[in-house]
Order: sequence, then structure tokens, then C-alpha cells
Amino acid sequence: MITLTRKLKKETTVSNGPPITDASKRVSVRDRLLVKEVQEMEQTLPGTCHVNFENPNELFNITLTVSPDEGYWAGGTFHFHIYVTEDYNMAPPEVKCLTKLWHPNISEEGDICLSLLRQNSIDSLGWAPTRRIKDVVWGLNSLFTDLLNFDDPLNLQATELYLKDKEAFRQKVNDYVKQYAKR
Amino acid sequence: MADEENSSDRADGDTPKPEKMFTLKKWNAVAMWSWDVECDTCAICRVQVMDACLRCQAESKTGSGKQDCVVVWGECNHSFHYCCMSLWVKQNNRCPLCQQEWSIQRMGK
Repeated sequence: MITLTRKLKKETTVSNGPPITDASKRVSVRDRLLVKEVQEMEQTLPGTCHVNFENPNELFNITLTVSPDEGYWAGGTFHFHIYVTEDYNMAPPEVKCLTKLWHPNISEEGDICLSLLRQNSIDSLGWAPTRRIKDVVWGLNSLFTDLLNFDDPLNLQATELYLKDKEAFRQKVNDYVKQYAKR
Repeated sequence: MADEENSSDRADGDTPKPEKMFTLKKWNAVAMWSWDVECDTCAICRVQVMDACLRCQAESKTGSGKQDCVVVWGECNHSFHYCCMSLWVKQNNRCPLCQQEWSIQRMGK
């Protein structure tokens, strides 16, 4: 993050001089937005979340860890990869769940059904450039509590099991947590 | 001696003025101003609408982009950089702030 800020600073000082060569390639709009957003996100991070950047020069590659402290998935640790595309913030980030889990809105392959990650949406719940990375983090975190939605399932079997037998659902969630999402 | 002084003081006026506690020697006036718009920051790129948008700032090499980057007001009275909004309406023709269908009320600086 520090290096990116320095890069931005360097760019502004260079812009008055001769044309910039490829060596100090211009910083994209996405990266400019991220410098501000990442700082804001880290300050407002929920207690159950942790973010990590494998490469501090690539703020667009974010690893999020959610450790729910209530609900069916309490006790598990779930990893997500957030990739902020070059089209940000006209397009939402791409998110994958890296931890296998039994959840109505997250497939076993890691695809996620979260309204604000939808690019095209006729309602007001989809992506909008007014949304920020912190909203994505809060949304993912809430999928384990408030935003858990059995009416709009991605994992149909999980929903069917829940509707049929809540105790069996709880048991299966626990089995997955023990096997794949141990803290 | 002391008596004489007192009597001459009294002769100055019927009501002696109390000694001033403070004297104003210097003062600075401070004025504040802001743009007369409902939202002065573009909610898309988060730069003041009266400045060039983030995209134009990143792309302009000579500074000419600053003149071309204008403000657009929607019928909903929300304002954005024209550059930012034209990119967004390609995907979703709604105001990102109020979700109303987007139609331009006016453009300019």
C-alpha cells in the first residue's frame, strides 16, 4: 500500500516533466480508488473479519477471512478471494469462496449468490459505483447471519435439507466445518 | 498632592469612564464558501464535481482534460462528472444514488 501511494506521488511529480515511459506506467482508476478504499475498509472491518494482501503492490487481490461468532457456521473459518477487476468501480469485484462449506447461498465450488455482486440488476440491490469494497466485505460477512437467505438458493440441496429437517441441516453444516473450515 | 490629583480627575467629566480591560488591536475576517449544489462530490469517482474526474486526472498529460470534464445534473437533482455517469448509464440507466431512471436535466460547469 505504501509503495502504491509513493507511485501515485511519483506520477504527479513526473507529469510536469517529459512524457512518462512504460517503466512508471500510469496508475489506473481502480488502483487510485483502492488506495483510499482499502484504508477505509481496514478501519471499519467487522470483528469477525480479517483481510490480507499477498502482494502489497496489488491491492486488487484481497484475501478475506470470516470467522462467524454466531449462527450455523460459528466456529468455522472461511476464506474468500476478492479480485477487483480493471473495470472497477463500474463493475463489481469477483469473489470466490475458497473454503468448502454447506450453505444455501454459496455453492460447494465456491460461487456466491450475493445481490450486490450482481453486475446487472433491475432492482436497487445490485452493484452500483457508489458501493465500496467495505460493503462487499460486510455483505460476505453477513451471509453467515443476516443475509442468509433460503428463498434464493444457489445450493438447492442445502435449502431442501433445511426445509425438510433443520437439525439434519445443522449437523451437515457442522460436519463440513469440522472437515474443511476448522479454525 | 494626592488630593489635588483627585480633584483634577473629577473635573474631566461628571461620570468617570472605567478603565478598559481589553483593547482591540487587530482582527482577521474569515469567510467560508461552498458550491451551490446538492452533492459537491461525485459519488462515482469521489472527486469534487468542480474538479476533473479521477479518470481525466489519470489520463490528462497536459492538463487540457480539466476543461473538458463537465458536470451533469439529472432530473433527480443528483450531480456527477459527465465522464463518470456516461460510463455507468451504459450498464444501468439509473441514478446510482436514488435508483431513479436517469435523464439529464442540464450539463456544464
